Amino acid sequence: MKEKGETEPIVFVIDDDRMIREGMQSLIRSVGLRVETFASAQEFLAVKRLDVPACLVLDVRMPGLSGLDLQLKLSEANIQIPIIFITGHGDIPMSVRAMKEGAHEFLTKPVRGQDLLDSIQKAIASDRELRKDRQELNEIRARFDSLTPREKEVLELVVAGLLNKQIADRLSMSELTVKTHRAHVMEKTQAESLAHLVRMSEKLKLPRK
Amino acid sequence: MEATRAKPFSAGPLRYGVAVALVAVALWLSLILQIPFGNPFWFFFAIAVIVSTWFAGRGPGWLAVALSSLAVLYFFIPPYRSWNVKPQDVPFFATFVLCQVIANWLISWRRQTEDSLRRARDELEARVAERTTELKSVNEALVTQMAEQKRVEEDLQVARTELARVVRITTIGELTASIAHEVNQPLAAVVANADACVAWLSRQQPNLAEARAAADRATQGATRASEVIVRIRSLISKVTPEKSRVQMNEIIQQTAALAEGQASRNNVVLEFELLRDLPLVYADSIQLQQVILNLMMNGIEAMTGVNGRPRPLIVASQLLSAGHVQVSVQDFGIGVRPEVMSRLFEPFFTTRSKGIGMGLPISRSIIEAHGGKLWAESDGEHGTTFRFTLPVGEGSTG
Repeated sequence: MKEKGETEPIVFVIDDDRMIREGMQSLIRSVGLRVETFASAQEFLAVKRLDVPACLVLDVRMPGLSGLDLQLKLSEANIQIPIIFITGHGDIPMSVRAMKEGAHEFLTKPVRGQDLLDSIQKAIASDRELRKDRQELNEIRARFDSLTPREKEVLELVVAGLLNKQIADRLSMSELTVKTHRAHVMEKTQAESLAHLVRMSEKLKLPRK
Repeated sequence: MEATRAKPFSAGPLRYGVAVALVAVALWLSLILQIPFGNPFWFFFAIAVIVSTWFAGRGPGWLAVALSSLAVLYFFIPPYRSWNVKPQDVPFFATFVLCQVIANWLISWRRQTEDSLRRARDELEARVAERTTELKSVNEALVTQMAEQKRVEEDLQVARTELARVVRITTIGELTASIAHEVNQPLAAVVANADACVAWLSRQQPNLAEARAAADRATQGATRASEVIVRIRSLISKVTPEKSRVQMNEIIQQTAALAEGQASRNNVVLEFELLRDLPLVYADSIQLQQVILNLMMNGIEAMTGVNGRPRPLIVASQLLSAGHVQVSVQDFGIGVRPEVMSRLFEPFFTTRSKGIGMGLPISRSIIEAHGGKLWAESDGEHGTTFRFTLPVGEGSTG
């Protein structure tokens, strides 16, 4: 079991304006959320972040790396974190670009406190969901990875809908051996039924013949 | 051209006819005058030859020579009215013929010289006329060109007026955007902190310390917003210069506060080398702020393309021996190419896509109106330094 400090969500605020940073930090803390603030995108990239549900409140216009640049960097590094963009201009092309890249929300300055808190809550909830999905997928992958090469071959043919006899022919083994492998596969992947096994393998996007 | 070269008797046979007629007249006069006076008047033959050669040409001249020789031989060399010549009269007759020949030759030579002279003159006249025509057409083209140029200049003037109007509008637009940003930023801080304050107070157990801190920050934000407005208003409200005795270093520092945001957004570090106890200058502080702000903004802009080395913008003040205060703004940007250098202060000249090319000309006119000078010095590829001087305390009244 993980400790509370490691699962408690965290909000990252990046804004070059100290007073805005402090105001947002105070506002977010007031509803009992953890906050970390950064004066620039570089600072944010430099620190090691905890593996907990999180969201990013990001000023679009900043010296050095802009908000949009950071978004691109994160997506290139395959770091998935919902981003709430804050802009002083409400510039439409910029919002479109940010949204296309998967921004969670786009708020214009000055942001109403309640709007910001609502967006943060939604973003964290969505990150939690995503993380749950990802974790589930990782677990499934770990289980499937534990299969032997032979078992993997049998698995592929099973989810393709072949009967034991057909699989035995295809792999030049006895039907009994196929049954044994199949039982191991069901056990190792913790599949409750054939349908469950198929769903899991689809999630992993296993290649099928 | 042909007309000017025409001779009195241009038709061939007619010219020979003239020679014959002249010799006939000379013979008739000689014979007539011989009756009362006894002596033969053969001078008339000489006249006939001269006149024939002169007016009718060399050929008729020779005919006249031949005819008059025959006439003299027949009528006036004994034995008269016979073609015979006595041996003692041969030298006399030969001399006569020789004289005629010489006369003809001399006259025709003279005539030829005169003809060629006349031809030369005619040609000259023709060429002069030709050149005159050419000059005339060139002149007409020139007049057309000048009219065209004048029209273009008028168009240019119209375009300039239009541009000036656009510049005014653009400047107002840029200024509005800039004001919006500068004011919006502290307002955002006010809103965030005020919301935080309310949030801390609304908790079941209000956290007064946090609420107070947030309220304090909200107040700071509001103060900053109003300061921005005051600065911008003072920058744009005044039109007529209001001179007073001002401390240049103070003006530099006030202006730097305005440029700080732009500098930090571009990773530019502002550095100051200000001379302490700088004497006061008599100037319009707002206009000086405009000039310094313009130079600083240019410097910051010049360094946006620089990577891999520090980006300081050095603003310095100095006292020159001649009783002038000098301010310099030095950037370490990409430098200014020589061909651009000479045009820096031209109105509407700009190297930036968004520039309007009026910053430096306006700055220079402001400095010159204060009795100073503004110029640029290139540091090659390592940047540019703009300097201006102002006379110390001129026109000061305390």
